[in-house]
Amino acid sequence: MVDLHTQRKWDKAASAFDLMSGMGAERRWLPHKQKLFGNMQGKVLFLALGTGLDIAAFPPGQDITAIDISPEMIKRARARMDDYSGSITAEVMDVHELRFEDGQFDQIYTSCTFCSVPRPVAGLTALKRVLKPGGELFMFEHTGSKYFPLNLSMKFMSIITEKLGPSMDRHTVDNVKQAGFHIVEVEHVFLDVVKIIKARKDSNNVVDMTESISNTHSALTT
Amino acid sequence: MEHRLYFVLGDLLTNIVIGSLIGILAVTVVSTGWNMWLAMLLMMIIGMALSLLAAVAFGIFFGAMEVMVPAMQSGMMSGMVVGMWQAMSPLSAGQGAIIGGIVGLVMLNIIWVANTALRGLRPAGGVS
Repeated sequence: MVDLHTQRKWDKAASAFDLMSGMGAERRWLPHKQKLFGNMQGKVLFLALGTGLDIAAFPPGQDITAIDISPEMIKRARARMDDYSGSITAEVMDVHELRFEDGQFDQIYTSCTFCSVPRPVAGLTALKRVLKPGGELFMFEHTGSKYFPLNLSMKFMSIITEKLGPSMDRHTVDNVKQAGFHIVEVEHVFLDVVKIIKARKDSNNVVDMTESISNTHSALTT
Repeated sequence: MEHRLYFVLGDLLTNIVIGSLIGILAVTVVSTGWNMWLAMLLMMIIGMALSLLAAVAFGIFFGAMEVMVPAMQSGMMSGMVVGMWQAMSPLSAGQGAIIGGIVGLVMLNIIWVANTALRGLRPAGGVS
């Protein structure tokens, strides 16, 4: 069942979302997002679509499945989806309860999503389930900082911002690791607060090969 | 560091204005003769909270975390410096604004240096 508390929070935020993010944040982040989303290929899952501000950074001609927990957000994204040169299919869905089959997607993209997911490790584990073995996870996220006094102010900010929307103090790289992904690269966009995280779901072949090497090593040493 | 002029000017404006406003507030709130450590602590908390609210308004035009994080440091430090100063010797509102604005400018530069150290000299998008 959809997390109704989170859904209501984002439904409420939908009407002001473009005003708060469209002019400043999205314009500032556009070059970084264009570069990240430029990696799109194959069957792509995008979350969370919001009001579709990220669509401006999508490469043309892709076939993208998008989800968002808020029906209000998706309603507002319709015009941007229609203007996109490729195809975007959007569904209302909670990341904790994805209605997709296992191993369905080649790539998953998130954009300032895991600052708002209530149970981030569970959400990331759900993403791992629907990603093909060897599939890639690309994240554009803001997180907490490990440096004083930034970490102090991020915790302080979270007390206020969590009531209205996102947390400012998430440890998303650690959460990605905890969910069982292999971190490929972490790129800082602004301080250690805004970052691009590239991760991979290990393919079965890699596991098999690792086991095979381990078995060979054991056989040789005994 | 940000290379686009619109955002550079936006960052400068945000931090100088917020530093100045918190400086004026510190002169108003703190009286000369207060314990300077109490004045510093009080204005640190007030400065941080109010600068977050102000940063949300500036953030509409200039960005999210890139605005909020430096603005909070500027507000916090401006409150601490002007609050302590006012506790030791009286300042006018204008002096509070100037000192606060300078503190905001210094804090923004520290953030720029820290950002450059963390991510290297790359323009937005990382294509150099």
